[in-house]
Amino acid sequence: MKKHILVVDDEADIRDMLAQFLTANGYRVTAVASAGEALRIGKQELPDLIISDLQLEDADGLEMIAELKAARPDQLVILLTGVLFDPEVVSGVLARHISSYLEKTSSLARILETVNHLLSPPPAR
Amino acid sequence: MKDKTIRRILLFFLLISAILVIIAVQAVRNINRSAVSSDWVNHTHSVILEVEALRVAVYAGDGALHAYVLTGDTRDQAAFSEALSNVTEQVEITKALTRNEPAQHGQILQLESLVNLRAEFYRAVLAARQAGNGEKVHTLLAADAGRSALRDIRRKIDLLKNEELALLTERDTASYLQAQATRWTVWLGVALDVLLLGSVAWLIRDDLAARRRAAVAMQADNERLEARVQERTAELAAANARLSTENLEKQWANKALTHQLHYNQLIIDSIKDLVFVLTKGLRISRVNPAVVHLTGLEPAALINQPLARVVQLLTRHPAADAPLTDPIAQALKEGHDLRDQPALVEDKRGRKTPVRFTLFPLRDGDKVVGGIVTLQISPPGAETRP
Repeated sequence: MKKHILVVDDEADIRDMLAQFLTANGYRVTAVASAGEALRIGKQELPDLIISDLQLEDADGLEMIAELKAARPDQLVILLTGVLFDPEVVSGVLARHISSYLEKTSSLARILETVNHLLSPPPAR
Repeated sequence: MKDKTIRRILLFFLLISAILVIIAVQAVRNINRSAVSSDWVNHTHSVILEVEALRVAVYAGDGALHAYVLTGDTRDQAAFSEALSNVTEQVEITKALTRNEPAQHGQILQLESLVNLRAEFYRAVLAARQAGNGEKVHTLLAADAGRSALRDIRRKIDLLKNEELALLTERDTASYLQAQATRWTVWLGVALDVLLLGSVAWLIRDDLAARRRAAVAMQADNERLEARVQERTAELAAANARLSTENLEKQWANKALTHQLHYNQLIIDSIKDLVFVLTKGLRISRVNPAVVHLTGLEPAALINQPLARVVQLLTRHPAADAPLTDPIAQALKEGHDLRDQPALVEDKRGRKTPVRFTLFPLRDGDKVVGGIVTLQISPPGAETRP
Protein backbone atom coordinates (compact mmCIF):
# COMPACT_ATOMS: atom_id res chain seq x y z
CA MET A 1 0.00 0.00 0.00
CA LYS A 2 1.29 3.42 -0.90
CA LYS A 3 2.43 5.73 1.87
CA HIS A 4 0.28 8.84 2.28
CA ILE A 5 1.91 12.26 2.29
CA LEU A 6 0.11 15.51 3.07
CA VAL A 7 1.66 18.53 1.33
CA VAL A 8 0.76 21.95 2.78
CA ASP A 9 1.79 25.08 0.87
CA ASP A 10 -0.09 28.22 -0.08
CA GLU A 11 1.79 28.51 -3.39
CA ALA A 12 -0.03 26.47 -6.00
CA ASP A 13 3.04 25.93 -8.21
CA ILE A 14 5.13 24.62 -5.33
CA ARG A 15 2.28 22.44 -4.12
CA ASP A 16 1.53 20.97 -7.56
CA MET A 17 5.14 20.27 -8.49
CA LEU A 18 5.83 18.56 -5.18
CA ALA A 19 2.65 16.48 -5.44
CA GLN A 20 3.47 15.46 -9.04
CA PHE A 21 7.03 14.51 -8.14
CA LEU A 22 6.13 12.47 -5.07
CA THR A 23 3.26 10.75 -6.90
CA ALA A 24 5.65 9.80 -9.72
CA ASN A 25 7.92 8.30 -7.09
CA GLY A 26 5.28 5.98 -5.66
CA TYR A 27 3.53 7.96 -2.93
CA ARG A 28 -0.11 8.87 -2.48
CA VAL A 29 -0.21 12.61 -2.09
CA THR A 30 -2.86 15.00 -0.79
CA ALA A 31 -1.98 18.63 -1.40
CA VAL A 32 -3.76 21.48 0.43
CA ALA A 33 -3.25 25.25 0.53
CA SER A 34 -4.37 26.18 4.05
CA ALA A 35 -3.67 25.20 7.62
CA GLY A 36 -7.40 24.61 8.18
CA GLU A 37 -7.56 21.95 5.48
CA ALA A 38 -4.29 20.46 6.67
CA LEU A 39 -5.59 20.14 10.24
CA ARG A 40 -8.79 18.47 9.04
CA ILE A 41 -7.06 15.94 6.80
CA GLY A 42 -4.18 15.41 9.22
CA LYS A 43 -6.59 14.44 11.98
CA GLN A 44 -8.98 12.41 9.82
CA GLU A 45 -6.66 10.49 7.52
CA LEU A 46 -3.54 10.32 9.69
CA PRO A 47 -1.02 10.71 6.85
CA ASP A 48 2.32 8.96 7.14
CA LEU A 49 4.16 12.22 6.56
CA ILE A 50 3.36 15.96 6.43
CA ILE A 51 5.44 18.32 4.34
CA SER A 52 4.56 21.89 5.26
CA ASP A 53 5.61 25.43 4.52
CA LEU A 54 6.23 27.75 7.44
CA GLN A 55 4.29 30.76 6.30
CA LEU A 56 0.72 29.96 5.36
CA GLU A 57 -1.99 32.39 4.46
CA ASP A 58 -4.34 31.54 7.30
CA ALA A 59 -1.92 30.50 10.02
CA ASP A 60 1.63 29.92 11.08
CA GLY A 61 2.92 26.59 9.87
CA LEU A 62 4.68 25.78 13.12
CA GLU A 63 1.49 26.35 15.11
CA MET A 64 -0.39 24.00 12.80
CA ILE A 65 2.35 21.39 13.18
CA ALA A 66 2.28 21.76 16.93
CA GLU A 67 -1.48 21.14 16.96
CA LEU A 68 -1.14 18.04 14.82
CA LYS A 69 1.74 16.74 16.94
CA ALA A 70 -0.38 17.27 20.02
CA ALA A 71 -3.03 15.01 18.52
CA ARG A 72 -0.50 12.52 17.20
CA PRO A 73 2.94 12.80 18.81
CA ASP A 74 4.64 10.37 16.41
CA GLN A 75 3.50 12.29 13.33
CA LEU A 76 6.41 12.67 10.88
CA VAL A 77 6.84 16.24 9.61
CA ILE A 78 9.18 17.91 7.16
CA LEU A 79 9.35 21.71 7.32
CA LEU A 80 9.98 22.94 3.78
CA THR A 81 10.43 26.71 3.77
CA GLY A 82 12.20 29.58 2.12
CA VAL A 83 12.75 31.21 5.50
CA LEU A 84 16.34 30.51 6.36
CA PHE A 85 16.89 29.40 9.91
CA ASP A 86 20.04 29.39 11.85
CA PRO A 87 21.21 25.77 12.27
CA GLU A 88 21.13 26.19 16.04
CA VAL A 89 17.48 27.22 15.86
CA VAL A 90 16.69 24.17 13.78
CA SER A 91 18.45 21.73 16.09
CA GLY A 92 17.33 23.41 19.26
CA VAL A 93 13.85 24.80 18.89
CA LEU A 94 12.36 23.17 15.80
CA ALA A 95 13.58 19.65 16.50
CA ARG A 96 10.80 19.19 19.04
CA HIS A 97 8.16 19.77 16.38
CA ILE A 98 9.56 18.51 13.11
CA SER A 99 11.36 15.43 11.84
CA SER A 100 13.42 17.27 9.25
CA TYR A 101 14.04 20.78 7.97
CA LEU A 102 14.59 21.51 4.28
CA GLU A 103 15.10 24.81 2.51
CA LYS A 104 12.96 25.37 -0.56
CA THR A 105 16.13 25.74 -2.57
CA SER A 106 16.81 22.06 -1.88
CA SER A 107 16.57 19.90 -4.99
CA LEU A 108 13.67 17.53 -5.49
CA ALA A 109 16.15 14.65 -5.31
CA ARG A 110 17.22 15.86 -1.86
CA ILE A 111 13.60 16.15 -0.78
CA LEU A 112 12.85 12.62 -2.05
CA GLU A 113 15.89 11.29 -0.27
CA THR A 114 14.65 12.79 3.02
CA VAL A 115 11.12 11.46 2.43
CA ASN A 116 12.39 7.98 1.62
CA HIS A 117 14.60 8.04 4.67
CA LEU A 118 11.74 9.02 6.99
CA LEU A 119 9.23 6.60 5.49
CA SER A 120 11.49 3.60 4.96
CA PRO A 121 10.57 0.68 7.21
CA PRO A 122 13.02 -0.04 10.03
CA PRO A 123 15.45 -2.87 9.24
CA ALA A 124 14.23 -6.32 10.30
CA ARG A 125 15.90 -7.68 13.37
CA MET B 1 7.38 -19.74 -52.79
CA LYS B 2 3.67 -20.50 -52.58
CA ASP B 3 2.95 -19.59 -56.22
CA LYS B 4 5.95 -21.56 -57.44
CA THR B 5 4.83 -24.71 -55.59
CA ILE B 6 1.27 -24.39 -56.82
CA ARG B 7 2.53 -23.98 -60.39
CA ARG B 8 4.67 -27.09 -60.00
CA ILE B 9 1.79 -29.12 -58.57
CA LEU B 10 -0.51 -27.96 -61.36
CA LEU B 11 2.14 -28.93 -63.92
CA PHE B 12 2.45 -32.37 -62.35
CA PHE B 13 -1.31 -32.86 -62.39
CA LEU B 14 -1.43 -31.77 -66.02
CA LEU B 15 1.23 -34.36 -66.84
CA ILE B 16 -0.65 -37.05 -64.89
CA SER B 17 -3.86 -36.12 -66.68
CA ALA B 18 -2.12 -36.19 -70.07
CA ILE B 19 -0.69 -39.63 -69.35
CA LEU B 20 -4.12 -40.89 -68.27
CA VAL B 21 -5.63 -39.50 -71.48
CA ILE B 22 -2.92 -41.15 -73.56
CA ILE B 23 -3.50 -44.47 -71.78
CA ALA B 24 -7.25 -44.17 -72.28
CA VAL B 25 -6.89 -43.29 -75.98
CA GLN B 26 -4.44 -46.14 -76.50
CA ALA B 27 -6.71 -48.59 -74.69
CA VAL B 28 -9.76 -47.54 -76.69
CA ARG B 29 -7.81 -47.80 -79.93
CA ASN B 30 -6.60 -51.28 -79.02
CA ILE B 31 -10.10 -52.34 -78.01
CA ASN B 32 -11.36 -51.14 -81.38
CA ARG B 33 -8.53 -52.98 -83.13
CA SER B 34 -9.30 -56.10 -81.14
CA ALA B 35 -12.96 -55.86 -82.12
CA VAL B 36 -11.98 -55.46 -85.76
CA SER B 37 -9.54 -58.39 -85.48
CA SER B 38 -12.19 -60.49 -83.84
CA ASP B 39 -14.61 -59.74 -86.71
CA TRP B 40 -11.91 -60.54 -89.20
CA VAL B 41 -11.05 -63.81 -87.47
CA ASN B 42 -14.71 -64.82 -87.43
CA HIS B 43 -14.98 -63.89 -91.06
CA THR B 44 -11.87 -65.86 -91.95
CA HIS B 45 -13.14 -68.88 -90.05
CA SER B 46 -16.42 -68.54 -91.94
CA VAL B 47 -14.55 -68.49 -95.25
CA ILE B 48 -12.57 -71.59 -94.23
CA LEU B 49 -15.74 -73.38 -93.12
CA GLU B 50 -17.59 -72.47 -96.30
CA VAL B 51 -14.64 -73.57 -98.46
CA GLU B 52 -14.55 -76.87 -96.52
CA ALA B 53 -18.30 -77.19 -97.03
CA LEU B 54 -17.72 -76.60 -100.75
CA ARG B 55 -15.15 -79.37 -100.79
CA VAL B 56 -17.60 -81.69 -99.00
CA ALA B 57 -20.37 -80.73 -101.42
CA VAL B 58 -18.14 -81.38 -104.46
CA TYR B 59 -17.08 -84.79 -103.13
CA ALA B 60 -20.70 -85.60 -102.18
CA GLY B 61 -21.84 -84.67 -105.70
CA ASP B 62 -19.04 -86.73 -107.18
CA GLY B 63 -20.02 -89.80 -105.07
CA ALA B 64 -23.74 -89.37 -105.82
CA LEU B 65 -23.03 -89.15 -109.59
CA HIS B 66 -20.96 -92.32 -109.55
CA ALA B 67 -23.64 -94.11 -107.55
CA TYR B 68 -26.34 -93.04 -110.00
CA VAL B 69 -24.15 -94.17 -112.94
CA LEU B 70 -23.82 -97.58 -111.32
CA THR B 71 -27.42 -98.01 -110.08
CA GLY B 72 -29.51 -95.76 -112.30
CA ASP B 73 -31.61 -95.21 -109.20
CA THR B 74 -33.59 -91.99 -109.15
CA ARG B 75 -32.79 -91.45 -105.48
CA ASP B 76 -29.11 -91.31 -106.32
CA GLN B 77 -29.98 -88.89 -109.10
CA ALA B 78 -31.86 -86.73 -106.58
CA ALA B 79 -28.91 -86.91 -104.17
CA PHE B 80 -26.61 -85.82 -107.01
CA SER B 81 -28.90 -82.91 -107.93
CA GLU B 82 -29.00 -81.81 -104.28
CA ALA B 83 -25.23 -82.05 -103.98
CA LEU B 84 -24.74 -80.04 -107.17
CA SER B 85 -27.15 -77.45 -105.85
CA ASN B 86 -25.15 -77.28 -102.61
CA VAL B 87 -21.96 -76.80 -104.58
CA THR B 88 -23.49 -73.85 -106.43
CA GLU B 89 -24.80 -72.38 -103.18
CA GLN B 90 -21.45 -72.79 -101.38
CA VAL B 91 -19.65 -71.10 -104.27
CA GLU B 92 -22.02 -68.13 -104.05
CA ILE B 93 -21.66 -67.94 -100.26
CA THR B 94 -17.87 -68.02 -100.51
CA LYS B 95 -17.89 -65.36 -103.19
CA ALA B 96 -20.11 -63.18 -101.04
CA LEU B 97 -17.82 -63.63 -98.02
CA THR B 98 -14.74 -62.62 -99.98
CA ARG B 99 -16.15 -59.82 -102.11
CA ASN B 100 -14.28 -57.15 -100.04
CA GLU B 101 -11.02 -59.10 -100.24
CA PRO B 102 -9.77 -58.96 -103.81
CA ALA B 103 -7.01 -61.58 -103.44
CA GLN B 104 -9.25 -64.21 -101.88
CA HIS B 105 -12.12 -63.25 -104.13
CA GLY B 106 -9.89 -63.87 -107.17
CA GLN B 107 -8.99 -67.31 -105.92
CA ILE B 108 -12.65 -68.05 -105.24
CA LEU B 109 -13.43 -67.06 -108.85
CA GLN B 110 -10.72 -69.44 -110.04
CA LEU B 111 -12.19 -72.11 -107.79
CA GLU B 112 -15.62 -71.34 -109.20
CA SER B 113 -14.26 -71.91 -112.75
CA LEU B 114 -12.87 -75.29 -111.70
CA VAL B 115 -16.13 -76.17 -109.98
CA ASN B 116 -18.17 -75.08 -113.01
CA LEU B 117 -16.00 -77.24 -115.30
CA ARG B 118 -16.52 -80.15 -112.96
CA ALA B 119 -20.25 -79.48 -112.89
CA GLU B 120 -20.31 -79.48 -116.73
CA PHE B 121 -18.57 -82.85 -116.63
CA TYR B 122 -21.15 -84.17 -114.15
CA ARG B 123 -24.03 -82.92 -116.27
CA ALA B 124 -22.53 -84.56 -119.40
CA VAL B 125 -22.17 -87.93 -117.60
CA LEU B 126 -25.69 -87.55 -116.18
CA ALA B 127 -27.13 -86.80 -119.61
CA ALA B 128 -25.34 -89.83 -121.18
CA ARG B 129 -26.57 -92.12 -118.37
CA GLN B 130 -30.11 -90.88 -118.64
CA ALA B 131 -29.91 -91.43 -122.43
CA GLY B 132 -28.68 -95.04 -121.79
CA ASN B 133 -25.49 -94.29 -123.69
CA GLY B 134 -23.21 -96.57 -121.74
CA GLU B 135 -20.34 -96.15 -124.12
CA LYS B 136 -20.30 -92.38 -123.76
CA VAL B 137 -20.58 -92.70 -120.01
CA HIS B 138 -17.68 -95.08 -120.08
CA THR B 139 -15.66 -92.75 -122.30
CA LEU B 140 -16.36 -89.75 -120.10
CA LEU B 141 -15.47 -91.60 -116.90
CA ALA B 142 -12.38 -93.08 -118.51
CA ALA B 143 -11.27 -89.61 -119.42
CA ASP B 144 -11.73 -88.59 -115.79
CA ALA B 145 -9.61 -91.43 -114.52
CA GLY B 146 -7.59 -90.22 -111.57
CA ARG B 147 -10.06 -87.36 -111.06
CA SER B 148 -7.39 -84.78 -111.81
CA ALA B 149 -9.99 -82.00 -112.00
CA LEU B 150 -11.26 -82.95 -108.56
CA ARG B 151 -7.72 -82.92 -107.21
CA ASP B 152 -7.26 -79.43 -108.70
CA ILE B 153 -10.35 -78.29 -106.84
CA ARG B 154 -9.08 -79.87 -103.65
CA ARG B 155 -5.61 -78.27 -104.05
CA LYS B 156 -7.20 -74.92 -104.73
CA ILE B 157 -9.33 -75.25 -101.64
CA ASP B 158 -6.27 -76.34 -99.59
CA LEU B 159 -4.29 -73.40 -100.91
CA LEU B 160 -7.05 -70.98 -100.08
CA LYS B 161 -7.50 -72.53 -96.69
CA ASN B 162 -3.75 -72.44 -95.97
CA GLU B 163 -3.58 -68.80 -96.98
CA GLU B 164 -6.47 -67.99 -94.68
CA LEU B 165 -4.82 -69.91 -91.85
CA ALA B 166 -1.55 -68.06 -92.49
CA LEU B 167 -3.42 -64.78 -92.36
CA LEU B 168 -5.05 -65.93 -89.14
CA THR B 169 -1.65 -66.68 -87.66
CA GLU B 170 -0.33 -63.32 -88.83
CA ARG B 171 -3.34 -61.48 -87.39
CA ASP B 172 -3.04 -63.42 -84.17
CA THR B 173 0.60 -62.37 -83.87
CA ALA B 174 -0.37 -58.76 -84.58
CA SER B 175 -3.12 -58.94 -81.94
CA TYR B 176 -0.69 -60.35 -79.43
CA LEU B 177 1.79 -57.58 -80.15
CA GLN B 178 -0.98 -54.99 -79.82
CA ALA B 179 -2.05 -56.47 -76.52
CA GLN B 180 1.55 -56.40 -75.33
CA ALA B 181 1.90 -52.81 -76.45
CA THR B 182 -1.30 -51.97 -74.60
CA ARG B 183 -0.01 -53.68 -71.47
CA TRP B 184 3.27 -51.82 -71.66
CA THR B 185 1.50 -48.56 -72.32
CA VAL B 186 -0.82 -49.06 -69.37
CA TRP B 187 1.91 -50.19 -66.99
CA LEU B 188 4.29 -47.48 -68.11
CA GLY B 189 1.57 -44.85 -67.74
CA VAL B 190 0.59 -46.15 -64.33
CA ALA B 191 4.23 -46.20 -63.26
CA LEU B 192 4.73 -42.65 -64.54
CA ASP B 193 1.57 -41.47 -62.81
CA VAL B 194 2.63 -43.12 -59.55
CA LEU B 195 6.02 -41.48 -59.93
CA LEU B 196 4.44 -38.10 -60.63
CA LEU B 197 2.00 -38.50 -57.74
CA GLY B 198 4.94 -39.36 -55.51
CA SER B 199 6.71 -36.25 -56.73
CA VAL B 200 3.63 -34.14 -56.03
CA ALA B 201 3.38 -35.64 -52.56
CA TRP B 202 7.07 -34.89 -51.99
CA LEU B 203 6.57 -31.34 -53.27
CA ILE B 204 3.61 -30.79 -50.97
CA ARG B 205 5.48 -32.29 -48.03
CA ASP B 206 8.52 -30.15 -48.82
CA ASP B 207 6.35 -27.06 -49.18
CA LEU B 208 4.59 -27.77 -45.89
CA ALA B 209 7.94 -28.29 -44.17
CA ALA B 210 9.20 -25.02 -45.68
CA ARG B 211 6.05 -23.27 -44.51
CA ARG B 212 6.48 -24.70 -41.03
CA ARG B 213 10.11 -23.54 -40.98
CA ALA B 214 9.05 -20.12 -42.27
CA ALA B 215 6.32 -19.92 -39.62
CA VAL B 216 8.77 -20.87 -36.88
CA ALA B 217 11.30 -18.34 -38.21
CA MET B 218 8.61 -15.68 -38.45
CA GLN B 219 7.46 -16.41 -34.92
CA ALA B 220 11.05 -16.18 -33.70
CA ASP B 221 11.46 -12.91 -35.58
CA ASN B 222 8.24 -11.61 -34.10
CA GLU B 223 9.33 -12.59 -30.62
CA ARG B 224 12.70 -10.92 -31.14
CA LEU B 225 10.99 -7.85 -32.53
CA GLU B 226 8.50 -7.83 -29.67
CA ALA B 227 11.33 -8.13 -27.15
CA ARG B 228 13.20 -5.35 -28.91
CA VAL B 229 10.09 -3.18 -28.94
CA GLN B 230 9.51 -3.84 -25.26
CA GLU B 231 13.15 -3.14 -24.51
CA ARG B 232 13.05 0.06 -26.56
CA THR B 233 9.75 1.05 -25.00
CA ALA B 234 11.21 0.52 -21.55
CA GLU B 235 14.26 2.59 -22.53
CA LEU B 236 12.04 5.34 -23.87
CA ALA B 237 9.83 5.20 -20.79
CA ALA B 238 12.92 5.41 -18.58
CA ALA B 239 14.31 8.27 -20.66
CA ASN B 240 10.96 10.01 -20.54
CA ALA B 241 10.72 9.55 -16.79
CA ARG B 242 14.28 10.84 -16.43
CA LEU B 243 13.53 13.86 -18.61
CA SER B 244 10.30 14.51 -16.74
CA THR B 245 12.17 14.36 -13.46
CA GLU B 246 14.90 16.64 -14.78
CA ASN B 247 12.31 19.04 -16.14
CA LEU B 248 10.43 19.01 -12.86
CA GLU B 249 13.69 19.49 -11.00
CA LYS B 250 14.51 22.55 -13.15
CA GLN B 251 11.05 23.98 -12.65
CA TRP B 252 11.40 23.39 -8.94
CA ALA B 253 14.82 25.03 -8.84
CA ASN B 254 13.52 28.06 -10.77
CA LYS B 255 10.49 28.31 -8.55
CA ALA B 256 12.54 27.95 -5.39
CA LEU B 257 14.99 30.57 -6.60
CA THR B 258 12.16 32.94 -7.54
CA HIS B 259 10.58 32.32 -4.18
CA GLN B 260 13.84 32.98 -2.39
CA LEU B 261 14.50 36.17 -4.37
CA HIS B 262 10.98 37.33 -3.66
CA TYR B 263 11.45 36.61 0.01
CA ASN B 264 14.75 38.47 0.10
CA GLN B 265 13.12 41.38 -1.71
CA LEU B 266 10.34 41.35 0.83
CA ILE B 267 12.88 41.58 3.63
CA ILE B 268 14.62 44.59 2.08
CA ASP B 269 11.37 46.25 1.04
CA SER B 270 9.95 45.83 4.52
CA ILE B 271 12.75 47.85 6.10
CA LYS B 272 11.55 51.39 6.88
CA ASP B 273 15.10 52.76 6.83
CA LEU B 274 16.43 53.91 3.47
CA VAL B 275 18.65 51.25 1.90
CA PHE B 276 21.07 51.91 -0.95
CA VAL B 277 23.22 49.23 -2.57
CA LEU B 278 26.39 50.78 -4.02
CA THR B 279 28.97 49.73 -6.51
CA LYS B 280 32.62 50.07 -5.68
CA GLY B 281 32.48 53.37 -7.60
CA LEU B 282 29.84 54.64 -5.15
CA ARG B 283 27.06 54.54 -7.74
CA ILE B 284 23.59 53.40 -6.76
CA SER B 285 22.70 49.90 -8.01
CA ARG B 286 19.56 49.24 -5.98
CA VAL B 287 17.22 51.06 -3.57
CA ASN B 288 14.32 50.02 -1.37
CA PRO B 289 10.81 51.58 -1.46
CA ALA B 290 11.67 53.79 1.55
CA VAL B 291 14.18 55.67 -0.63
CA VAL B 292 11.55 56.21 -3.34
CA HIS B 293 9.07 57.33 -0.72
CA LEU B 294 11.39 59.90 0.86
CA THR B 295 13.12 61.28 -2.23
CA GLY B 296 10.16 61.16 -4.60
CA LEU B 297 12.52 59.75 -7.19
CA GLU B 298 11.73 56.52 -9.01
CA PRO B 299 14.38 53.74 -8.97
CA ALA B 300 15.07 54.39 -12.69
CA ALA B 301 16.13 57.95 -11.84
CA LEU B 302 18.43 56.74 -9.07
CA ILE B 303 20.06 53.64 -10.50
CA ASN B 304 23.62 54.22 -11.70
CA GLN B 305 23.65 57.75 -10.21
CA PRO B 306 26.37 58.74 -7.70
CA LEU B 307 25.21 58.36 -4.13
CA ALA B 308 26.33 61.95 -3.57
CA ARG B 309 23.46 63.16 -5.73
CA VAL B 310 20.94 62.42 -2.99
CA VAL B 311 23.05 61.81 0.12
CA GLN B 312 25.50 64.26 1.66
CA LEU B 313 27.63 62.97 4.49
CA LEU B 314 28.13 65.69 7.09
CA THR B 315 31.74 64.88 7.91
CA ARG B 316 33.84 66.83 10.37
CA HIS B 317 36.18 69.37 8.89
CA PRO B 318 39.54 67.74 8.53
CA ALA B 319 42.62 69.42 9.87
CA ALA B 320 44.04 72.04 7.62
CA ASP B 321 47.12 69.96 6.90
CA ALA B 322 45.21 66.64 6.41
CA PRO B 323 44.55 65.33 2.86
CA LEU B 324 41.00 65.76 1.63
CA THR B 325 39.46 62.24 1.26
CA ASP B 326 35.94 60.84 0.81
CA PRO B 327 35.17 58.88 4.00
CA ILE B 328 32.76 56.50 2.20
CA ALA B 329 35.30 55.57 -0.50
CA GLN B 330 37.94 55.33 2.20
CA ALA B 331 35.78 52.95 4.29
CA LEU B 332 35.03 50.73 1.28
CA LYS B 333 38.65 50.71 0.25
CA GLU B 334 39.71 49.71 3.76
CA GLY B 335 36.76 47.35 4.13
CA HIS B 336 35.33 48.67 7.38
CA ASP B 337 31.95 49.95 8.47
CA LEU B 338 31.07 53.59 8.73
CA ARG B 339 28.38 53.73 11.37
CA ASP B 340 25.85 56.31 12.53
CA GLN B 341 27.19 59.30 10.70
CA PRO B 342 25.04 62.44 10.29
CA ALA B 343 23.93 63.07 6.72
CA LEU B 344 21.30 64.82 4.63
CA VAL B 345 19.03 63.30 2.01
CA GLU B 346 17.83 65.57 -0.77
CA ASP B 347 14.50 64.90 -2.46
CA LYS B 348 13.58 65.81 -6.03
CA ARG B 349 12.33 69.23 -4.90
CA GLY B 350 15.62 70.04 -3.22
CA ARG B 351 14.36 69.63 0.33
CA LYS B 352 16.90 68.08 2.68
CA THR B 353 16.08 65.61 5.43
CA PRO B 354 18.56 64.84 8.22
CA VAL B 355 19.41 61.14 8.60
CA ARG B 356 21.90 58.89 10.37
CA PHE B 357 24.21 57.29 7.83
CA THR B 358 25.64 53.76 8.12
CA LEU B 359 27.81 52.02 5.52
CA PHE B 360 28.53 48.28 5.42
CA PRO B 361 31.04 46.94 2.91
CA LEU B 362 29.36 44.39 0.60
CA ARG B 363 31.60 41.33 0.67
CA ASP B 364 31.78 38.40 -1.70
CA GLY B 365 34.10 36.08 0.09
CA ASP B 366 37.15 38.13 1.04
CA LYS B 367 36.56 40.78 -1.61
CA VAL B 368 34.65 44.03 -1.17
CA VAL B 369 32.45 44.32 -4.25
CA GLY B 370 30.37 47.32 -3.15
CA GLY B 371 28.55 48.73 -0.18
CA ILE B 372 25.22 48.90 1.57
CA VAL B 373 24.09 52.21 2.96
CA THR B 374 21.24 52.49 5.42
CA LEU B 375 19.81 55.88 6.35
CA GLN B 376 17.77 56.24 9.49
CA ILE B 377 15.64 59.35 9.57
CA SER B 378 16.73 61.49 12.47
CA PRO B 379 14.06 62.58 14.90
CA PRO B 380 13.16 66.28 14.77
CA GLY B 381 15.81 68.44 16.49
CA ALA B 382 18.45 65.83 16.24
CA GLU B 383 21.98 66.87 15.66
CA THR B 384 22.86 67.39 12.02
CA ARG B 385 26.42 68.21 12.65
CA PRO B 386 29.07 65.62 13.31
